[in-house]
Amino acid sequence: MVQSFLQLNSIFISLVIEAVPFIVVGVFISAIIQIFITEEMIAKFIPKNRFFSILLGTCMGSLFPACECGIVPITEGLVRKKVPLHAAIAFMLTGPIINPIVIFATYVAFGNSWEMVIRRCSLAIVVAFIVGLLISYLFNDDQLREFLNKKAQKAQSQANKKKHHHHHHDHEHIHSMTAMEKVKEMIDHALDEFFSVGKFLVIGAFIAASMQVFVKTSTLSLLGHTTATSILVMMLLAFLLSLCSEADAFIASSFRGTFATGSLTAFLVFGAMVDIKNLIMMLSTFKKRFVFTLIGSITVVVFIGSLFGSLFL
Amino acid sequence: MIRFIILFGFMYLLFHLHATGDISKYINMRYAYLTFIMIFIFAFMSIYQLIKWNMQGKKDNKEEHHHHHGHDHSHDENTVWKKFLVYGLLLLPLITGIFLPIATLNSNIVKAKGFHFAEIDNDKDPYANHGILRPNTRLYYSADAYEKMSVSDRKKYDSGNSLTLNDGNYLRGLETVYNFPGDFTNKTISMRGFAYHGDATSKKQLFLFRFGIIHCIADAGVFGMMLNFPEAVNYKNDDWLQVQGTMSTTFYQPFQQTIPVLNVTKWKIIKAPKDPYVYRPY
Repeated sequence: MVQSFLQLNSIFISLVIEAVPFIVVGVFISAIIQIFITEEMIAKFIPKNRFFSILLGTCMGSLFPACECGIVPITEGLVRKKVPLHAAIAFMLTGPIINPIVIFATYVAFGNSWEMVIRRCSLAIVVAFIVGLLISYLFNDDQLREFLNKKAQKAQSQANKKKHHHHHHDHEHIHSMTAMEKVKEMIDHALDEFFSVGKFLVIGAFIAASMQVFVKTSTLSLLGHTTATSILVMMLLAFLLSLCSEADAFIASSFRGTFATGSLTAFLVFGAMVDIKNLIMMLSTFKKRFVFTLIGSITVVVFIGSLFGSLFL
Repeated sequence: MIRFIILFGFMYLLFHLHATGDISKYINMRYAYLTFIMIFIFAFMSIYQLIKWNMQGKKDNKEEHHHHHGHDHSHDENTVWKKFLVYGLLLLPLITGIFLPIATLNSNIVKAKGFHFAEIDNDKDPYANHGILRPNTRLYYSADAYEKMSVSDRKKYDSGNSLTLNDGNYLRGLETVYNFPGDFTNKTISMRGFAYHGDATSKKQLFLFRFGIIHCIADAGVFGMMLNFPEAVNYKNDDWLQVQGTMSTTFYQPFQQTIPVLNVTKWKIIKAPKDPYVYRPY
């Protein structure tokens, strides 16, 4: 028991250490967006049409080499700068999958073959697009943004209500700030964000580590008899293991003897979009109802997509 | 102040792990540069926080008599327990990371993590996981590029009459063995790892494993071989062994497939190595 606890602790620490660099990069990018990019710039940049804005979000994801936990604060920053929610979500879903590091890792893990890379990326794009579209119809933009702002403020104010008040005040005068002040403001912002996001990383990493030590994941693999159930099993496994999207390809490839390509694709796509670590972090950023709708639609689309993929492609 | 302590704590934890080399027990050293850079970023952030806290303290002193103070104070009181929770959570990994001993993954995790031989024994189940013994990269459908890589590996490890699996070549070497078992039949292989008893093995059989790490120990998996001893042996799980033997293959009932097995000729119990894991070098 003591041994199990110490192992749990070691896995927990290793998850935190592994994720912290990406979180820090994420909060700094988020802070840069917050301070240096204005809403007018975004408004000019983002197309009004929902199809094009979702497409743009999907493409933008490939510019940021962030993993699934580092991308949550960035997405939050984008939404607060009035990027349409559906575009930001499309960005959040593709970011952890379509970036050079993850593509390379997937390529190597599956024996230097492009097949899995192509399957993974195309399913990710399809999912991001459909889910983004769904979100744009289901959630009224304005309502959500208003809520998100409030929620973001609330999360931040837990750490320091006082300072955040000043922030808003400063934003109004942001154009009159000197470069030095802007940088200072940016670091302040990144630090605030680090503390508000960090605690959720800790909770998520702890739960994920407990799952690894105490839940016999082997029992899961016994459930995957048919194509459909094995896809579901792999999605559940991806959720429970909470692997970083750069490492999950190697784990997936070790399941090749057991699971078909379709299930592995589901594992690689679903795990990079939703897992325990980033669920906790999304809940800290977005409204509960929204997060569960989001996860529900991701689940359905990934499931149907990989079922389709394994049957016809 | 508490923010400074947390930032400083993160810096200290990472610095400590790098200085003692214990970082390799958490993550693949390939990614160590990331945490190494983080030491400096946390150092910068904690100094920044310290200066800010210092300046705020001065400002607060000046503003003490203004009406601002009362307003802020009431906020602080409301959120004291929240602050405690937030910062307490962030302190948790620092405290357990610095003060609790690092645990090594062992047979306990092999059991828990799911690649459990007891389950595979239920041989009615064709879906049971038998990818476990075979490290990574073999694709069902052959890809030219992969063939090229494994052929070059094959040449590398297949020259001479013996193969020694050490920390550096463990994963790739083992992979080659599993891909081309025929090439290695009757050849001498020496390796070390920790013992693990599958339920179905006899007194003369056990598995020799090592944990392979891709990114961090949360994604570690076990890789190794089945051993056949000439006599009954009585090693416990997690005893580290150095073995040498000739390779052959056997039909292993629980897996419903033929797997390589090492007929051990020489073996001795060894101390657990300083670095118990092997790392995937790409």
